[in-house]
Amino acid sequence: MYFRIIRNDILRSKVITLTTMIFVSAAAMLVSLAAILIINLSGALDTLMTQAKTPHFMQMHSGEIDTARLKSFAEQHKNVEEYQVVEFLGMDGSEIILGDHSLSNSVQDNGFSVQNEKFDYLLDLNGNIINVSDGELYVPVTYMKEKTTSIGEKAIINGKEFTVAGFLRDSTMNSSLSASKRFLVSSNDFAEIKDLGSIEYLIEFRLKDFSEIGEFETAYASAGLEANGPSVTYTLFKTMNAISDGMMIAVILLVSALVVTIAFMCIRFTLLAKIEDDYREIGVMKAIGLRISDIKKIYLAKYASLAAAGSILGFIFSLMFQGMLLENIRLYMGEDENTSLAVSVGLIGILLVFISIVAFVNVVLNRFRKISAAQAIRFGSSQEMKPGAKHFSLSNNNLFTTNIFLGIKDVLARKKLYATSLVVLIISAFIMIVPQNLYNTISSKSFIQYMGIGDYDLRIQTSSSAKTDDIVTLIDSDSDISRYAVLTTKTFKLKTSNESEENIKVELGDHSAFPIEYSEGSAPSRDNEIALSTINADELNKKVGDVITMVIEGKEKDLTVSGIYSDVTNGGKTAKAVFIDNSAKAMWTIVCVELYNKSLVESKVSGFSNKFDFAKTSDIDEFVSQTLGSTISSIEMASYASIVVALVITVLVTLLFMKMLVAKDRYSIVIMKAIGFTISDIRAQYFSRSVFVLIVGIFLGTLLANTLGEVLAGVLISSFGASSFNFNVNPITAYLLSPLMMIFAVLISTMIGTSGTGKIKISENIKG
Amino acid sequence: MMKKMIIGKNIVKSYGNGDEQRNVLDGVSVEINEGEFVSVMGPSGSGKSTLMFSLSGMDGIDRGKIVFEGMDISAVGDNELSNIRRTKMGFVFQQPTMLKNLNILDNIILPSMRGNRKNTAKITEKARALMKRVGIAGLEKRDIIQVSGGQLQRAGICRALMNNPKIIFGDEPTGALNSKSAHEIMDIFSEINANGTACMLVTHDAKIAARTERIMFMRDGKIVSELKLPKFDGKDIDGRVETVTVKMRDIGI
Ligand SMILES: Nc1ncnc2c1ncn2[C@@H]1O[C@H](COP(=O)(O)OP(=O)(O)OP(=O)(O)O)[C@@H](O)[C@H]1O
Ligand SMILES: [Mg+2]
Repeated sequence: MYFRIIRNDILRSKVITLTTMIFVSAAAMLVSLAAILIINLSGALDTLMTQAKTPHFMQMHSGEIDTARLKSFAEQHKNVEEYQVVEFLGMDGSEIILGDHSLSNSVQDNGFSVQNEKFDYLLDLNGNIINVSDGELYVPVTYMKEKTTSIGEKAIINGKEFTVAGFLRDSTMNSSLSASKRFLVSSNDFAEIKDLGSIEYLIEFRLKDFSEIGEFETAYASAGLEANGPSVTYTLFKTMNAISDGMMIAVILLVSALVVTIAFMCIRFTLLAKIEDDYREIGVMKAIGLRISDIKKIYLAKYASLAAAGSILGFIFSLMFQGMLLENIRLYMGEDENTSLAVSVGLIGILLVFISIVAFVNVVLNRFRKISAAQAIRFGSSQEMKPGAKHFSLSNNNLFTTNIFLGIKDVLARKKLYATSLVVLIISAFIMIVPQNLYNTISSKSFIQYMGIGDYDLRIQTSSSAKTDDIVTLIDSDSDISRYAVLTTKTFKLKTSNESEENIKVELGDHSAFPIEYSEGSAPSRDNEIALSTINADELNKKVGDVITMVIEGKEKDLTVSGIYSDVTNGGKTAKAVFIDNSAKAMWTIVCVELYNKSLVESKVSGFSNKFDFAKTSDIDEFVSQTLGSTISSIEMASYASIVVALVITVLVTLLFMKMLVAKDRYSIVIMKAIGFTISDIRAQYFSRSVFVLIVGIFLGTLLANTLGEVLAGVLISSFGASSFNFNVNPITAYLLSPLMMIFAVLISTMIGTSGTGKIKISENIKG
Repeated sequence: MMKKMIIGKNIVKSYGNGDEQRNVLDGVSVEINEGEFVSVMGPSGSGKSTLMFSLSGMDGIDRGKIVFEGMDISAVGDNELSNIRRTKMGFVFQQPTMLKNLNILDNIILPSMRGNRKNTAKITEKARALMKRVGIAGLEKRDIIQVSGGQLQRAGICRALMNNPKIIFGDEPTGALNSKSAHEIMDIFSEINANGTACMLVTHDAKIAARTERIMFMRDGKIVSELKLPKFDGKDIDGRVETVTVKMRDIGI
């Protein structure tokens, strides 16, 4: 019975209804996508970890191992179901060449294993346990994603030739958070290459009852068994596997929260405006004794049908887009068998959106109760001036022109109404600025210093220490080169607190030549000082001023931590020192070079590449783009996309609000026309309204972007090794271009939105 | 001989189209002299308001011509019409037409404030003087919902007078008021008129019309008759009302 009222109402406000519906369906789509992703992720993850029989407890260990003792521990402990020791043959990335690509710049610790017999299986992309033949190599699925290699290509491992037979899923090391990556070879091949790298042991257990993992961990530790390395439980494996898609889900949830907010704001605005409009009628209905719940029902029915239509649309869209977002989960973890469950949870999510919209409308409609019948009939207006707006009066305004004054006054007098569009504009400014600042930060030259790379022009890397002198001799006599520094990385033994030893990579050389950014302390300057990367410092639990003990030239030596820095190279686990060491073998040497003339970089790089064919010469920008390139470019894409999204939201919402305001304010408009204000005067008033709200919105949005946004971005950035994150803002784009774009968008939409003012007839609105 | 201020010739205005089409103003010709006090009477729907909206340029006409102070206002653009309305005309409507956001004083000074940046003090002073004159001094800072209908109507008159108009149009300005207030308002109009401003009032009330010097009677979009009276000097109101009622009975209004 309400159908006709609703239909007429919708027909009268097509644009407004459409815009609201777009936001509702976008919100519904995102919520449903998030739900579908969560179900798929947890389903696929369970399947993967069940099929692979992921260890319940894994202790990594480097150094001597007493297998007999471990075996007896496993046999004696009542909760152990199965036990095994897996060998992981770590190898420097430069020794691994897949097709045309060397992994020398890989930030992962790459290594080789054979297929396990009891559990912790390496699976193929169909979820089956791989049976590998001699000469075959299975590559971690990450390298398929990064398109490093493809099936059938040749691979050279330390001179030995393999064929890439396929890709593998590794339930313990799949994740980008896991620093190590396992390649799979046959036992025969493994025996052949075994001496070419360094062996690390993975001591793995499956328990009968996983809930007693805590008790088991204590037992393992108190038995004094091998523990030179981190230990990981099943739960942590699960978290690590889930994290990158989990982060995507988190971002989608965040965005959907924003969109839901916008949808709510649109509904609130329309409703408040509608109530203002129908104030007199509602008052009359009240006066003649109609029940408020009847009036409420009409509006509720309208928004319920609108929300229902939006939700259905959103659901269809989410089904259309889910494939795209599920790609990663499908690649890394496989298909989830429970698609119908995912879809039904998606539906539940949408139902929640629907219910919350209806509940929200219901709350806003409670204003009906506050309408006084007497006042409504007498004045047809709900307007009581707000105290703040009262003192802002035309008679003592010397600041603004009358049109601007009237615009601002209207905003101040109807704060609740405009708060709605303010929230949307704040969100838009936020969406626009945060990704842009993030992109600007990580693509800026100074961000390299956060990453543990100094500000030089090119680098020459070699693993042959003997030939380093050749390079230095030549560079020293090159007149194009302004400065250079030689940095040699060696591995040392580090004494940890519980009397065990650990390996640590230390970069030796002059660190003051091309300084990096230290989040705490400063570069090492004396022989007994060392600087640690954030991840190392966290793992070793050391602060600036603490002392660590290392074995140098066979003797234990105490070094004071002089500084802590961010590093994304080498998995983020590095250290820097200046002492001289002649005993340890250099892992690699980097010659950092700065040129007088930056335009020569390209020609110098190719010149050095030819001269030093044993070394790898790279342009530093290129080096960075290899390390961070895909991240930078996806953030760049995201920043452009968010600018577009923010502008679309701004235009749609401003258009919606303006059209509505003009329709609502017909009466004020004709009064002004009657007393001699021109159409351009009136439109100028609307422009000042929207620009005033916009300026406040941009200000708050920018503020929020630089505080909350920076924190959010910092969380994201820290996931790949950089700490002490601060936005590097490009003031021209962030504080000039972006606001200008928003102002332009708002002006255009205000212009279109207020174009109806000229058509409002005085005689039709003032009855004589 | 009085100078003519408004000349309307053969004004035709219609609403609707096709068979539905109806001439609301059906060839109306009117003239209003400078400083004249005229009124329009007629049954509901006869076109009185439409005539007023047309003469003041608030509503376009279909045929005919309206000349205001020698300018053909049926041929000029919206902006020019706005300027004329603001600087030369004042309006008082049956229902108070005030902006809800502004207090009484701000509403009154509004037409004078357009484009003004320097004379706010002078304008405000003038508004206060006008408010005093119509008897609403002290209500400056009130919201429009905080005053009575009669007070609001007086504020409307102040607003209409702010720019020293040549003519004030009043469309049943006393229609919503009790007879005491109505007569007070009419006293104000008489005073305004005595100071040289022309007034054109639309009214149903013979007592109101009797205070003007010329009454035009409308029916079905035409002016069917006219009644001239001497300028009202405050005396013999009953006699004047009698004349008007007799005339109305004669022509059947
Ligand atoms: N926008 C419109 N569309 C169609 N017809 C209209 C419109 N405005 C007025 N009319 C018609 O024009 C005629 C004259 O209206 P007008 O308002 O001028 O009458 P009036 O003499 O002022 O009446 P009242 O004494 O009731 O105020 C009426 O019949 C009315 O129905
Ligand atoms: Mg009328």
